[in-house]
Amino acid sequence: METILSGQLLFSALVTGSIYVLLGFGLNIVFGTMRLLNIAHGEIAMIGAYISFSLFDLYGVSPLISMFLAMAVTSAFGALVYRGVFRKLIADSPTLARLEGNSLLIFLGLSIILQNCTSFFFSASPRAYRYLDDIWRIGNVAITYNRLVVLVVAIGLCAAAALFLTRHIYGLAIKAYIQNPQAAMVMGINIDRIQLLSFCIGFASAGITGALLSMLEQISPFMGFSYTIAAFVVVILGGLGNLVGGMMAGFLLGVLETYGVALTSPNLQLVLIYGVFVLVLIFQPQGLTGGRRAIR
Amino acid sequence: MFAMMGFFVLLIPIPWVANDYIISLLLSLTMWIALTQSWVILSGFTGYLSLGHAVFFGIGSYVGVLIWGLVPLWVAMLFGGAVGGMFAATIGYPALRVRGPYFAMLTFGMAELVKYSVTYAEAKLGEFGRIIVSGPSVFELYFMMLGLAVVATAVTHAIASSRSGYALRAIRENEEAAETAGVPVVYYKLGAFAFSAIIPAMIGVLIVMRSTYFEPMIAFDPTVSFMIVTMAIIGGSDDAMGPFVGATFLTVLSEMLLTNAPPQLYMIFLGFLLIVFVLFAPRGLTGLIADRTKAALR
Repeated sequence: METILSGQLLFSALVTGSIYVLLGFGLNIVFGTMRLLNIAHGEIAMIGAYISFSLFDLYGVSPLISMFLAMAVTSAFGALVYRGVFRKLIADSPTLARLEGNSLLIFLGLSIILQNCTSFFFSASPRAYRYLDDIWRIGNVAITYNRLVVLVVAIGLCAAAALFLTRHIYGLAIKAYIQNPQAAMVMGINIDRIQLLSFCIGFASAGITGALLSMLEQISPFMGFSYTIAAFVVVILGGLGNLVGGMMAGFLLGVLETYGVALTSPNLQLVLIYGVFVLVLIFQPQGLTGGRRAIR
Repeated sequence: MFAMMGFFVLLIPIPWVANDYIISLLLSLTMWIALTQSWVILSGFTGYLSLGHAVFFGIGSYVGVLIWGLVPLWVAMLFGGAVGGMFAATIGYPALRVRGPYFAMLTFGMAELVKYSVTYAEAKLGEFGRIIVSGPSVFELYFMMLGLAVVATAVTHAIASSRSGYALRAIRENEEAAETAGVPVVYYKLGAFAFSAIIPAMIGVLIVMRSTYFEPMIAFDPTVSFMIVTMAIIGGSDDAMGPFVGATFLTVLSEMLLTNAPPQLYMIFLGFLLIVFVLFAPRGLTGLIADRTKAALR
């Protein structure tokens, strides 16, 4: 019981949860606006992680600086993917079901390409680097500085995302588009620009999250799958386009994972993530709030 | 159909005349044909996209390695197929209520869940990879695999032109309309799912015998799922010809062009092919050929 209530686990759950919130946010933006389910989301995070890793490894650049580069690169990649592939696909697809199926296949191809490119250039073996890993003790809680930094940055990014979606004109436009695409079009929202922006924001947030992840964990070319799944759980539980719901769901997943692993075994971490995912899809596809939007 | 069966008949005398390299190449060719055909029964006809077919393959491998030595090969194969089919029927009921991209993600997540669960169970049992000693001969495996390819092709062909085939396609085009018109959709979806699981599970049994080694991360490798999807999309996935063409095309291509290249390059190339075909030829090579012939005849 002592260990369960310890600040140590709670802090760990917070850090994991904040990563999931960010990942879920990026997936949500692309999925919510265009109904394109980006199964390469985890791979985009992987790219961000490798950008930070290589810059630190080669030139000793702090990940706190390189994460902005990771964000810029993945954002540009998002724009490229939208302009190069998805604009045509959206225009060509006769029905929403076709579009959903085809976009899934394209993202699948993309994720395979990214995984294998990385594995080709960096080899498949896991990489890691040490950055700010001194320990800070508060009472009986031991915290490494890098985790603290990740938590602070992640919370800052969440706040920025919330401000963007509630205050900025484009954030409001994205929300309007998620709620009702036809009505948004009628109101004169430039759909093409919103879609482009969603891709950039979605990819960029994955990229910067990956850069943060590289400070905490080992990275490998095939790390993306489980993060895509975690992000997807956050989107389903939190609800489409629902930032507050996503935050709740992200932290809930972080708590579930951290405490689940603490109570059982670290070898069960992925079993837990995938297990939660399967159960959520089967039993609670309408999300935490049980919203009005029926998925099936 | 005659062309495909003729091709399979030509493969019968091969083990007596060809060398080991040709035999193992044809073994993998017939494997991919059979896998892709069974994927098409579910995902091609009903549109329920499965990204997790490796799970059935892996279950077959696991069953195969567990019961090998107790029963003859053909019993092991049938038993593996039965376990795979029952697994599909069990998870199919809740899984098939979920639609579109959610179903695709669910199949993918389930495959990974089973992979990591088996890995965990094996570690708990103290098994780090199981080895098969005195497995069946390549000769035996070759004919069984060829048999499976023939059966898978025949079944897909039969379904494609039957009443069931129209029911399954009706589900793909509009499930509500199909149900309203009296198609028992749950029954058809479950049937297609179970059918499409049996042959991959049987193949899993054969392949684990061939590699004489079982390791969950290899047996449940998601790359297998990706390869199946890519072959079906490149060939076409609305009849038995599409998977046949797609599997043959990619297997031959990989042998001809990329034997010496690093495997990553081949996967990158496949990823590009998949994207290009989805964008520009969603009906695959067979669809392209059909369109060309139609245009030529006009």
